[in-house]
Amino acid sequence: MHILRFLKTGSLVLSMALSLWATDYDVQKFGVKGDGVTVNTASIQYAIDYISDHGGGRLVFTAGTYRTGSIYLKSGVILHLERAATLMSTTNPFDFVKDEDINWMSMIFAKYQKDIGITGEGGIDGRGFETANNMLNYIQRGLFDDKLLWDRPREPNRPQNIYFRECENITITGITIKDPASWNQTYDQCVNILVDGITVDSKSYWNNDGIDIVDCDGVVIKNSYFDAADDVICFKSHDPDKICQNIVVDNCVGRSSANGLKFGTVSRGGFRNVKVTNLTIFDTYRSAITFAAVDGGIVENIVVDGVRSINTGNVIYLRIGDRWSKGKEPVMKDITIRNVYAEVPLGKPDAGYGYEGPIEDLPRNISPSSIVGLPNHRIENVTLENIEIVYPGGSDPFYAKVGLTPEELDNIPEMPAKYPEFSQFKELPAWGFYLRHADGITFKNVTLRAKNKDYRPAIVMDDVKGALFKDMEIEEPESEQNSKEQIFQYQSENIRID
Amino acid sequence: MRCISRLEIRIIFKQIVKRLLVELAEIPMRPKIGGMLNSTFLMIKLNCETRTMNKIQPTEYNRKRNRTIKSLFTLCLMMLLMFPLTGQNYYASLFGIKSDGKTLNTTSIQKAIDYIHEQGGGTLEFYVGRYLTGTIELKSNVTLHLHEGAVLLGSTNIYDYNIESKYTALVYAKNASNITIQGKGVIDGQGREVAYHLIDQIHKGIIKDQLKYDRPARRRPSAIYFRECDDVAVKGILVKNAAFWVQIYDQCDGLLVDSTMVDSKAFWNNDGMDIVDCKNVRITNNYVDASDDAICFKSHGPDHIGENVLVRNNVVRSSANGIKFGTVTRGGYRNFNIVNNTVYDTYRSAIAFTAPDGGFIEDIWVDSLYAYNTGNPIYLRNGERWGDKGPGSIDNITIQNVYAEVAAEKPDTAYEYEGPIEDLPRNISPSGIVGLVGTPITNVSLKNIKIIYPGGSNPNYAFRGTEPEDLDSIPEMADAYPEFSQFKELPAWGFYIRHAEDVSFENVELIAKEADYRPAMVVQDSKNISLKKVDFKEPGKKKKELHTYQSENVKRRP
Amino acid sequence: MMIRIFIFTIVLCFNWGLSVQGKDYKASLFGIKSDGITLNTGSIQTAIDFISQEGGGRLVFYVGRYLTGSIELKSNVTIHLEEGAVLVGVPSIYDYYSAGNFRSLLYSKDQANISVTGKGVIMGNGRSLIKSRNEQKKNGYLPSNSKDGLPGLVQFVNCDSVVLTGIILTESGGDVVSVHGSNHVNIAGLTIKNKGYSARGMTLSGNRHIALTNSYFETDGIELEFLSKNQDLRIDDTKNEFGEILKRP
Repeated sequence: MHILRFLKTGSLVLSMALSLWATDYDVQKFGVKGDGVTVNTASIQYAIDYISDHGGGRLVFTAGTYRTGSIYLKSGVILHLERAATLMSTTNPFDFVKDEDINWMSMIFAKYQKDIGITGEGGIDGRGFETANNMLNYIQRGLFDDKLLWDRPREPNRPQNIYFRECENITITGITIKDPASWNQTYDQCVNILVDGITVDSKSYWNNDGIDIVDCDGVVIKNSYFDAADDVICFKSHDPDKICQNIVVDNCVGRSSANGLKFGTVSRGGFRNVKVTNLTIFDTYRSAITFAAVDGGIVENIVVDGVRSINTGNVIYLRIGDRWSKGKEPVMKDITIRNVYAEVPLGKPDAGYGYEGPIEDLPRNISPSSIVGLPNHRIENVTLENIEIVYPGGSDPFYAKVGLTPEELDNIPEMPAKYPEFSQFKELPAWGFYLRHADGITFKNVTLRAKNKDYRPAIVMDDVKGALFKDMEIEEPESEQNSKEQIFQYQSENIRID
Repeated sequence: MRCISRLEIRIIFKQIVKRLLVELAEIPMRPKIGGMLNSTFLMIKLNCETRTMNKIQPTEYNRKRNRTIKSLFTLCLMMLLMFPLTGQNYYASLFGIKSDGKTLNTTSIQKAIDYIHEQGGGTLEFYVGRYLTGTIELKSNVTLHLHEGAVLLGSTNIYDYNIESKYTALVYAKNASNITIQGKGVIDGQGREVAYHLIDQIHKGIIKDQLKYDRPARRRPSAIYFRECDDVAVKGILVKNAAFWVQIYDQCDGLLVDSTMVDSKAFWNNDGMDIVDCKNVRITNNYVDASDDAICFKSHGPDHIGENVLVRNNVVRSSANGIKFGTVTRGGYRNFNIVNNTVYDTYRSAIAFTAPDGGFIEDIWVDSLYAYNTGNPIYLRNGERWGDKGPGSIDNITIQNVYAEVAAEKPDTAYEYEGPIEDLPRNISPSGIVGLVGTPITNVSLKNIKIIYPGGSNPNYAFRGTEPEDLDSIPEMADAYPEFSQFKELPAWGFYIRHAEDVSFENVELIAKEADYRPAMVVQDSKNISLKKVDFKEPGKKKKELHTYQSENVKRRP
Repeated sequence: MMIRIFIFTIVLCFNWGLSVQGKDYKASLFGIKSDGITLNTGSIQTAIDFISQEGGGRLVFYVGRYLTGSIELKSNVTIHLEEGAVLVGVPSIYDYYSAGNFRSLLYSKDQANISVTGKGVIMGNGRSLIKSRNEQKKNGYLPSNSKDGLPGLVQFVNCDSVVLTGIILTESGGDVVSVHGSNHVNIAGLTIKNKGYSARGMTLSGNRHIALTNSYFETDGIELEFLSKNQDLRIDDTKNEFGEILKRP
């Protein structure tokens, strides 16, 4: 209901705004050159300021390659990139601004502006590999202060392609966004964002997130394709007093060497009123869908409907933690995930892509999907409906083993302050689902299939209060002959299996 | 006479046919063709059959006889060997060499070369594609054939090159014989990126270098560096973007660089080609566009000289000099024919002779030189940079059939790595023949020459008059780097001659387009200067165009 | 008078001493490129900011062409152009900023101890900038008031202890050198070659303790103009292309 209302007002505002942006300005008339060599930062900035001062309009980039450093988008200005027009980074980190308010570097900034956007069929190319490595060189020469985390410049010291902060009515449509040195595009505390029909192609350097929505209100992301080295569609909450809410993600395809659809990791305020429909995730190293409430924020009223997850390392991972909560109580409740088909491979799903995901948390066999709260912060009211997941099975207990004895189950660490990742516990005792510290879980018409025999049961519950399993189907070679118990309960109560 | 293998016969035959074809294509223009025949003679001595011949004194008669013998011998060989004559051909892919532009092929290409070398020789064939590689060493009897569309692409990582060697290069060879690079393909050194990577490593302290002039002094790779190689041919290819001198041929005997192109404005010191102490050289039909000297002869070894060199039918462009002898001239140069070359958009001299390091330049024949939009046409200069080596000498230089247009503005404007603006203030500099006190430049003949200067100098900006104190104030600069502009303002607009003997001008026309405050020619401290049919043209009121000072026997005849 | 000149000289020497005392930084350390096509504005500005923060020093440019837009000079930084080094202005009008009333390639405001030295060249690319400016005016994006005129080459506003020696300044669309409201200014051995432009060679106004010596002016505009009174102004051995000696007003 919330979402519907938002959608109506949102689209109304956007269409109104669109009709206002009538005037087109040819960027080359401002002396900007699309020769791929000339650095146009100052001239593009002048053009944006001029258009903003003259009632707004579209700054049109015709076919060509336009090199630039940091520019600031201003109210009423749309950057329109025509087909074969590319806005390209200079690759010199000294051409980029680290904005004082935003505390990050970016190619296209906007702060405190409204009615802005980037449209067209052209592209933005951050040339991130070169820019990041140039930055690294300057840091190592002692010209730029950065302690280097994991031998990389810290994320804010590498330019993103787009960083909008506290803006209203943003339109991002049609464009291709490539290869930043850091995250691709961040919308931070913005209101009313439409992202439609964009392509993200970004495997140029570490932390190449596809899209990051931070503490925004009113977001539509649809008809878009993401291929990124880090998380592809990522919602974050950096401010404990803000919240990321009223979000629609529809008809998107993603590929990642981290997670597909992710809420978190930074989750100080939280996320609510989210509807994700018709999502395809493939060749993805970590989870297709993951929700993390590890910094005291809330996650509530989430619907994920219609997911195809092909060749992904993990399917669903829900996690409450207690990392940077600072006394706040993390909450995760009212989550519905339905109509999911997923295939988990035996091998590395992102093998061969640039900047492959790190091999870590070994030894472990293929990890199950998981819903893991904390003893005092429980995940509540999760419904999984019409779901089929195909696992490879075939775990090797001599390589890694966690059995079903109380000691073994109790020995699984709680890890409240650790970075939440589906593999964080190393080996888990189930091959299909592992549930812990969760209340009110419903599995309706869920099929779990292991292609090979696994030493573990399909589902393990530890400290679960109230669960309903209806129309469950579990397939594993030789399990019926051995009458293997596939749903295992430990310290749990009120479990119904129909 | 020892027994020769079939392979040796093949190689010998190939060489002879090659030489013959080249020679047939080049009818020597110089009436005294000793140099040409001499080079032929020296080349044929490489072959074991004619080993006895090199004891014969190369008199004119013997030369002719040798040639006849050689031709007969060749004919016989041709009759005998009617089978495929080149070594075997090998596809690059046979050795796992990848054309994707990303795979680093250094070790695969090296393996291929070593293998072909061990098999007795042959051709490594690169077809269309980009072949990324670090330093590879070419070995005897191996040909690299870069077919049209094939690019031998230099790695941008400085550590992929032989930086601990004195001969840092993408393609390197030492003590090899019968090596060839041919085809319509490209060698691209990616020199700018390599230099930037090297500079980065220097700034981080990993590599030690003083960064003189803010550039690495050592370790910048050339595209080609052949040292002490015999029988070298580089044909047809385009050589691009080195980090240093583009091509270096150092103490080689028997060198052919034919129909190649050089396009290199990638970094400082991009000389088009440096021919160092080589003998029996042909530089023919090349096009060179380089940010430093285009075709450059050097003499690094005090015990070595460059000799028997033909430079013919080349078109060059440079942000330094077009054709240059020096700067480093320890041994010297003898017997060069420089015929039918064109220089354009060139910042410094179209042709420069510099001998500042004790070496000599003698018996040089320059015929048919065309220079358009050049900063300076002709500059001859000896010096004494390093005291213990004594002064250099320049003797017996003939320059004839020259047409030159000197630029009013900077001639290399808008080329990358433009030549440096220096030695200011000065108005447009004249051509110069500037020797040393006690070591004059001797026997220079200039004939059939037309040079057009812009004129229009401003004496308030820079002034050098013709009064004795003005002329005496021109510094000697014996130990300075020799460059046409080194004296800053000079007192003539056409030719400045100092410390020279036996210089003759015949049928020479010097034209200033605008009035100049200076005379056309100043002769200072020189002897036996003859001017026959020399014409000075300058607009404005008539003035004395020839000024002599402290000179003897300066004769001007109509 | 003698005493004043003497003190002035001492002050200058002292300042000069200060400004050369700092470390030398080669341009390449900051990734500044000498190829003539890389726009170095960001890198040069970073270098100046860095050197100023580190307590001062010289940023040394060796032979080469360094393309740049406007650069702000900061306290205790010397730009040193070795012979053959050319700072080349980028041919796009919007790459220029100003400290005062008009744009300039090098500008400085409210700074102390700043120098531009060496035998190198600052080349304004004025011809291209006139084209760029006219085009922008024609397109209506650049208002036609004086504030958006053509950039000069060097501009000091309200600075203290300024040294400008040896360099050659050429092809400037705007007034080549302007010094306003500054204190202790030593300009020596400059060559201003700016034929073909209507711009003025040098404007000096409201400065105190300023010396212009041993310089050469070749301009189509007014060579040397004093917009308001300068206190303790000394001009020696400075002439124009016709050999005329330039004098105080």
